[in-house]
Amino acid sequence: MKRVAALLAALAAVYFSGSGYLVNLAVVTALFALPALGLSLLMGYTGQISLGHAAFVGLGAYASAILAKTLGLDPWLALVFAVVATTAIAWGIGWLVFRLHGHHLAMATLAFGIIVHVATVEMKGLTGGQDGLSAIPPLRVLGLELGTDLAVFPLAWLACIGAILLAENLIRSPAGLTMRAVAENETVAASFGIAPDALKRRIMAIGGCYAALGGAIYAHYLGYISPGPFDVGFSIRLLLMVALGGFAGIWSVLFGVVFVVVTSELLKPLGRFDVIVYGVLLVVVMIYCPRGLLDGFRVAGRALGRRFAGAAGSGRV
Amino acid sequence: MSAPLLEVRDVSVRFGGLQALDAVSFDVNRGEILALIGPNGAGKSTLLNVVSGALRANAGEVRFKGERIDGLTADGVNARGLARTFQGAEVLRAMTVRENVMAAGAAHAGASVVQGLAWLGPARRVAASLEAASATHLATVGLGALAEASAGSLTAGQQRLLAVARALATGAELLILDEPGAGLNATEKAFLADVIERVRRQGRTVVFVEHDLGLVGRLAERIVVLDHGVRIAAGPPREVRSDPRVIEAYLGNAHIAVARTGGAARTAAPLLEVRGVSVSYGGSIALDRVSMQVGEGEIVALVGANGAGKSSLLKAIAGAVEPQAGAIALGGEELRRVPAAARVRRGLSLAPEGRALFGSLSVRDNLAIGRFGRLRAAGLRQVLWPSGAEAAALEAAIEDMFCLFPRLRERAGQLAGTLSGGEGQMLAIGRALVNRPRLLMLDEPSFGLAPQVAKEILEALPRLSGQGISVLLVEQNAQAALQISDRAYVLVGGRVAAEGPSAALAADPAIGETYLGWEGAAPDAAQRSAPVAVAT
Repeated sequence: MKRVAALLAALAAVYFSGSGYLVNLAVVTALFALPALGLSLLMGYTGQISLGHAAFVGLGAYASAILAKTLGLDPWLALVFAVVATTAIAWGIGWLVFRLHGHHLAMATLAFGIIVHVATVEMKGLTGGQDGLSAIPPLRVLGLELGTDLAVFPLAWLACIGAILLAENLIRSPAGLTMRAVAENETVAASFGIAPDALKRRIMAIGGCYAALGGAIYAHYLGYISPGPFDVGFSIRLLLMVALGGFAGIWSVLFGVVFVVVTSELLKPLGRFDVIVYGVLLVVVMIYCPRGLLDGFRVAGRALGRRFAGAAGSGRV
Repeated sequence: MSAPLLEVRDVSVRFGGLQALDAVSFDVNRGEILALIGPNGAGKSTLLNVVSGALRANAGEVRFKGERIDGLTADGVNARGLARTFQGAEVLRAMTVRENVMAAGAAHAGASVVQGLAWLGPARRVAASLEAASATHLATVGLGALAEASAGSLTAGQQRLLAVARALATGAELLILDEPGAGLNATEKAFLADVIERVRRQGRTVVFVEHDLGLVGRLAERIVVLDHGVRIAAGPPREVRSDPRVIEAYLGNAHIAVARTGGAARTAAPLLEVRGVSVSYGGSIALDRVSMQVGEGEIVALVGANGAGKSSLLKAIAGAVEPQAGAIALGGEELRRVPAAARVRRGLSLAPEGRALFGSLSVRDNLAIGRFGRLRAAGLRQVLWPSGAEAAALEAAIEDMFCLFPRLRERAGQLAGTLSGGEGQMLAIGRALVNRPRLLMLDEPSFGLAPQVAKEILEALPRLSGQGISVLLVEQNAQAALQISDRAYVLVGGRVAAEGPSAALAADPAIGETYLGWEGAAPDAAQRSAPVAVAT
């Protein structure tokens, strides 16, 4: 609860800072945090790799946009339908892919991500192809259009904090223990009466739900979506956010998201070459900070402190 | 008497050409402690996997409380009240001891993901009841004080107790424990036995697989014995213990045509010397101050029951594990801190248990790889394209192997993965020999092979010693090993319990009891620690 209070205070500071740039970054952070949190539940806590997580964000965004724009549904209703549908799709994908393990699972989820991306490019009648969909009706609250950074900020963070609280509940509950058991040893988990595949499907569904919510809010907030942002590169960036957060750890993953959002701002001058930096970062983190960047800093700090103390001690002698 | 709790009827399992279980039947009655024993490869683990839902049988049926459970998934079997533990205890290291037990009870207590997300009344009630139950179960196994410790930090003995607590937490009526005593010392085993009896007093039924026949004799009310996938005996310990078929299953009965002669004359210069070597894995003692020797050109057998420390000794000599104490010397040279690859260059070759062949390479290539160390030492060019004297030596060495095992010549171009078990074992030995070692170490060369093939392999060994190669043989078929070797050491519980010329050991009727370790059933540990000296 202290952390939530600190987060709220920081968000309030950003919101009232008067800096449109900061508010924009905060909105982007919230929208990225949603899929990253779901991926952390799946990868960090349940031990199942997904290289196609961006697809769920894309499905949520496109479904909500098409329902609202083409079918003329109320944007809120479209958002709810899109999230429910993507949750069901995620469960179904889980039913397909969780008969696989390790590398095979990684390949299957990667393929799923590519398929969804190609579909959004090629199904021009529905998705507008590379041109994307524009003029997506925005969400409205009491007649106020949530189409600007300042207007969508409360909604995005409400969703994000809600997702954080639910994820924290899940981790602390007995079901969280069953997830960790499956992550560490499926055979042992099954010997406890835990059905590993059923559990993985449910966590995949939660991940799909979180991702779709982020995608749908994104679509109505920008008013325009194209296939580009939902490609495999985005899946890898989500992976990087979760890896930077040490995979398991709701708050450290949030840190990972902030880190990637800020880094991508710094990397803007590099244009499309930013992918190289992400790749190098991912490799470095996996090798040197397998428990995440924060933990890496902590370990390095402690080692430095010890060396410093040691040098001071030997200096005295 | 009521209907049996578990009924196993005519269960058969085939793995490719291997009949792992052949129409095995037995019952487990409510409230009893039943031991399932048998030599390595008897099919105990396979049977356990079938019963617990990890493996589907090709034929037969398993009933639990009258309901068929074969065909159910492992979690389905557990949900019906049957819990198993694993050979390696398999604690969840990332969790605390308490969390391990709580996780084990979660499914039984009805924890669900949706409840967990909401974290309202139901989830909190489940969590509270799990916590209370975990305290009870940890107290039962005597781990109450370690509840908050990380499960990975427990000793091997504590990990096995934790596995028992977890099985209790699943609410199971029938506990199936897979080698609960493996790697435990005498004190820990005594405590484990108390725990198992306590669990039974709680009204649960216990089946356990165990190699320590001392523990079996102390605990079990009935024993089922498997050998080569067949149930060869069942009954109370007294009967099973004196059953000749059981003794034969453990000691083997191969009759080797090539008898060893003049063994004593060969023990002149010791090639390998092991002095006071101790090895332990994370708190579990595998070898306790073992000393032994292999002379030039000698065949020495290392026999002992499963878990006696035979493979650990071979690994210590080969450099795969670092002993905590003691010294190992080859030809007078100390091997401490010499890496495994360098030991191979000094003339040590190990044909490991399970063969470890390169399945996608041909027989000839597998043999050639055995000489990699020598080729590499002759220069990088020799690795890429062997030529000159090195190539000739390689060809000669491979040719030697084809002479030793003519069956391999016929299959020179065949992929190693397609060989039969016996041919694979020949190839593994051949690969170890291509390097022209001074000492060849064989780990269970006849394991899982038909008697005729095993005989063929063992009979090839004296020819090697004729070429000046010493052989250290680990073999579960003790009778065969004693016939083929000059001298032998009997390992029991990580110690040398007996040593002497093989012929004398084979003739000693007391050796059978020593080897099997039955006397551990009597609680006089003093008798066990004193090595049995055999007159030479």
